[in-house]
Amino acid sequence: MRKSRKEKEASGKYTGGTLLLQITMTLVAALFMAPVLIIFNYSFKTKKELYINSPLSLPASLNFENYGKAYDKLNMGTTFFNTMMYTVISVLILTALCGITAWAIARCARKLFRFFYIYFIVGILIPAQALFLPIYTIGYRLHLVNTRYGIIFIYVATGMSFGIFLMTSFMSTVPIELEESARIDGCSVFKTYFLIVMPLLKPAMATLVIMQAFQIWNDYLMASLYVSKKQMKTLIVSMQALFSAQSSDYTTAMAAIVISVLPIAVLFISMQKYFIKGMTVGAVKG
Amino acid sequence: MKTGKKAGMEQKLFRQYLIIVIPGLVIFTIGLIIPLLLSVRYSLTDWDGMDLQKKFVGFQNYIKMFQDQEFKDAWIFTIKFTVFNTIIQNIGALLLALALDSGIKAKKLYRTVFFLPCLISALVVGFIWLKMFSNVLPALNERMGTDINFMLFGSKKTVLSGLLIANNWQWIGYWSLIYLAGLQSIPAELYEAAKVDGAGAVKRFFRITLPMLAPSITVCVVGITTGSLKVYDLLLSSTNGGPGRASVSVIYKTYTTALNGRQYGYGSAMTVTLVIALLLVAVIQVRQLKKKEVQA
Repeated sequence: MRKSRKEKEASGKYTGGTLLLQITMTLVAALFMAPVLIIFNYSFKTKKELYINSPLSLPASLNFENYGKAYDKLNMGTTFFNTMMYTVISVLILTALCGITAWAIARCARKLFRFFYIYFIVGILIPAQALFLPIYTIGYRLHLVNTRYGIIFIYVATGMSFGIFLMTSFMSTVPIELEESARIDGCSVFKTYFLIVMPLLKPAMATLVIMQAFQIWNDYLMASLYVSKKQMKTLIVSMQALFSAQSSDYTTAMAAIVISVLPIAVLFISMQKYFIKGMTVGAVKG
Repeated sequence: MKTGKKAGMEQKLFRQYLIIVIPGLVIFTIGLIIPLLLSVRYSLTDWDGMDLQKKFVGFQNYIKMFQDQEFKDAWIFTIKFTVFNTIIQNIGALLLALALDSGIKAKKLYRTVFFLPCLISALVVGFIWLKMFSNVLPALNERMGTDINFMLFGSKKTVLSGLLIANNWQWIGYWSLIYLAGLQSIPAELYEAAKVDGAGAVKRFFRITLPMLAPSITVCVVGITTGSLKVYDLLLSSTNGGPGRASVSVIYKTYTTALNGRQYGYGSAMTVTLVIALLLVAVIQVRQLKKKEVQA
């Protein structure tokens, strides 16, 4: 309602200043896009074009040879599948777990639950990256290192704080009256959550899915420590070999980059609407 | 009788809520809290990471650490990186958000363009900018006939600027979305009232926009600061800590000390120091910024 008024007001006067701003923003956006375009450009070049032509020149034709090479070199049949699996399962567990945990914390008035909230939230400030040593040690002791469920466990454990923070700040948008009437009708706590609350949490869950998905998908440190075996490696970890200074084959690296970013970019663009709504509630109210 | 039933009901509810919370608590405790406590314990030993024996050495690791020039240098680099990042990224993100909240057309397109880089892994971002600085921009020089030195990762003096460009390119769009969300939640009536009172655009910005944005500012400042203090992946593929040791961050130093140098106990002391620093910075920032929020 308010937004539509704002837009009307804005479109009402497209002044010289607005035009100037439009031009400036287009330039800034072009600067932001430049590296992305450069990556695409490289990814289609042949070896010969890489050595002879300027980095700024366009390839003679769109050849997908580099993409094929990237697929083979990175063993993508395996690594792409691994990364996808770790990301999807971790994100699903995180969303399910954080949603219901945050709900219980928000609804139970006992002091103990207040403590739980603070306990989880402190985790946002604890950098998992800084704790990679003991996280590795404990994983080693519990036989989680070089197992698929081990890395998933770590992603869930380190992502929970933020997830619970986001979900709890969202709970105020869920009308409590609905839950109470459901309970009077004889719904159990679990049924109330799954039937009444969870459907209302969709925007928050979309936000959480995106925020966690791209972090897990792109994670290097934990993945390099936890799943170093060849058949369990992730895409980003195996890509590092292509990035070393000695490697001159960076047309292949660029193609690999395009492939590695694509799934996350598609996810973001398809969920953008929910995501921005979730950010508004989560970030600003929290 | 009736109250007894009600209390029983509440007890039952409480138990059900507790059952819901327990799995999360267990996972979180094992995955994050116990490692935190472990690193405190290891930091008081001379463990090499392999031996079964862990000799207790008290605070020796910490004393050694404060005399270690390499560790100090790593902190100095990390602090510089963090301070510049916090300033540049906040101002840049706010400016972008203000533009995205104005009357210009195709806002969605701009928003997507600015946001895209943060979906790329920091490891990849480092590599992209390595190639930008060493191959692409020099080629631009050739084409334009200019002679600007773009090899920012090549010299100790410019390596920080190069990394700041890479990091800001990656994250500005992300934080600007948070500012944008904040801007859009400011009621339009406030601006209208101010206009009626004759307040100019600048005055409206400082009297209405900034104070009303206080919660978003808190989120962004704390997020950028703590994020920058943890920098690691970006360095790995761009500078590898170099030239020399000019871009070794705290985590980078911890990693090389503990894993490559086999000084696990010593590395743990570095970890503990970083965690304490992060907690302190976050608590101080939140307090200061919250104070501003209340005043506003």
